[in-house]
Amino acid sequence: MTDAKSQAMQSASLTPIITVDKVSLDFTKEKELMPVLVEVSLVAPKDQFVMITGPSGCGKSTLLRIIAGLTPASSGVVKFREEPVTKPRNEIAMVFQNFVLLPWKTSLENVMFGLLARKDLTDQEKLARATQALDDAGLRGFETVYPGELSGGMKQRVGVARALALAPQVLLMDEPFSSLDDLTAENLRREIYSLLISSSSPIQSVIMVSHNVEEIIELADKVVVLSARPARVVGELKIDLPRPRDKKSKEFFDWVDRVYALLA
Amino acid sequence: MPDTAEIFKGGSEDRFSHRPMMPANVRAGQVIGLVEVTGGLGSKIDASQLADELGEDIAVLLPILEAAELLGLVVTNKGEVTLTEFGHKFQKTLKNKVRLLRDKLAEIEPFRTALVIASHRRDVNTEDIVEELETEGIRWHHQRDINYSLVQALLIHWALYSGMLTYDGRTGKFKRAA
Repeated sequence: MTDAKSQAMQSASLTPIITVDKVSLDFTKEKELMPVLVEVSLVAPKDQFVMITGPSGCGKSTLLRIIAGLTPASSGVVKFREEPVTKPRNEIAMVFQNFVLLPWKTSLENVMFGLLARKDLTDQEKLARATQALDDAGLRGFETVYPGELSGGMKQRVGVARALALAPQVLLMDEPFSSLDDLTAENLRREIYSLLISSSSPIQSVIMVSHNVEEIIELADKVVVLSARPARVVGELKIDLPRPRDKKSKEFFDWVDRVYALLA
Repeated sequence: MPDTAEIFKGGSEDRFSHRPMMPANVRAGQVIGLVEVTGGLGSKIDASQLADELGEDIAVLLPILEAAELLGLVVTNKGEVTLTEFGHKFQKTLKNKVRLLRDKLAEIEPFRTALVIASHRRDVNTEDIVEELETEGIRWHHQRDINYSLVQALLIHWALYSGMLTYDGRTGKFKRAA
């Protein structure tokens, strides 16, 4: 990576864009309180790629939904800059693991669907944004194709385009490559990372959930490791490997080992 | 509007000869990933080692390798996979790299037939293309409905991605791209 934004990511200023402060979540099952998240705190600074990992079912995706304002926390607070996040906001967009596309709508209509609630945009502006987002996601020519006619990688590109069309400052991604085969994921990961850090991107911070440790070391500036349920933060690592990262290097494997050690 | 028999009447002598066919379930992302990984491992690698690196079964990797070879991106010799000069150029291209494959795809079925029919008509649907291919004994599956789905998926994925054809999902029609 050579552009200015990627260099900015490497020497990131630490202005917090998202702050998660002592967030806990409990469920009640048969009158018994079941803690899911216990006082989880993390900061996603400006121009940083933050990855959250932890054992399966520990609540990583739930934490992301709380950050997105989709699920209320039992206690604690999530802030976007200085403002509490209590409901979904235009500045925060999310890419889901299983694409979540409407099968009866075309790719373009799916992307525009995310803009429906935007009263500040005219229909023409929504169309222009959605078309541009599809183009940016590598799907020029697929505007009138339905999700059922797309491959898994392309469905996820529509999911990414839907998030990009919102021109968010924060992008949340919930295991976006986990439903794809390894080769498709490898390609899409590179493309999406380049897209997110490009100078034309409005995105200032990315928080991504993943259980793929190599993917984490390839992408992250910072890794937050959660314990098994109830999830607590058991470690936070700042990964300062130069980019692009050499997945064959000893340093890369050392970082992989450090994350595994925390997960174990 | 000419029918497909008329379009192909008096066509090239290779009409009934062996034609390269795109493996049915291979997608561009997999081929791009293969080229990236091969390039990242020093441009030359044993196919079984490549499968190990990717954590994929060799049976999954082989059709992807076949597609990459058809597209002129790699050559395989006695199990060794090597990036071609075109493969290196492809690897270094950052955006819309599948568009580089447009000319190569035009020589591979079902894209070749789709392109020929679309060049003679205003638009064409998958059924026309499948029928023409079947007259030439070219099919990806013996069951007609499955064969239709496989051809449709190949066309939508590769021909649109490469900018060879346009497609309207609401009408199911393909057109030759400008």
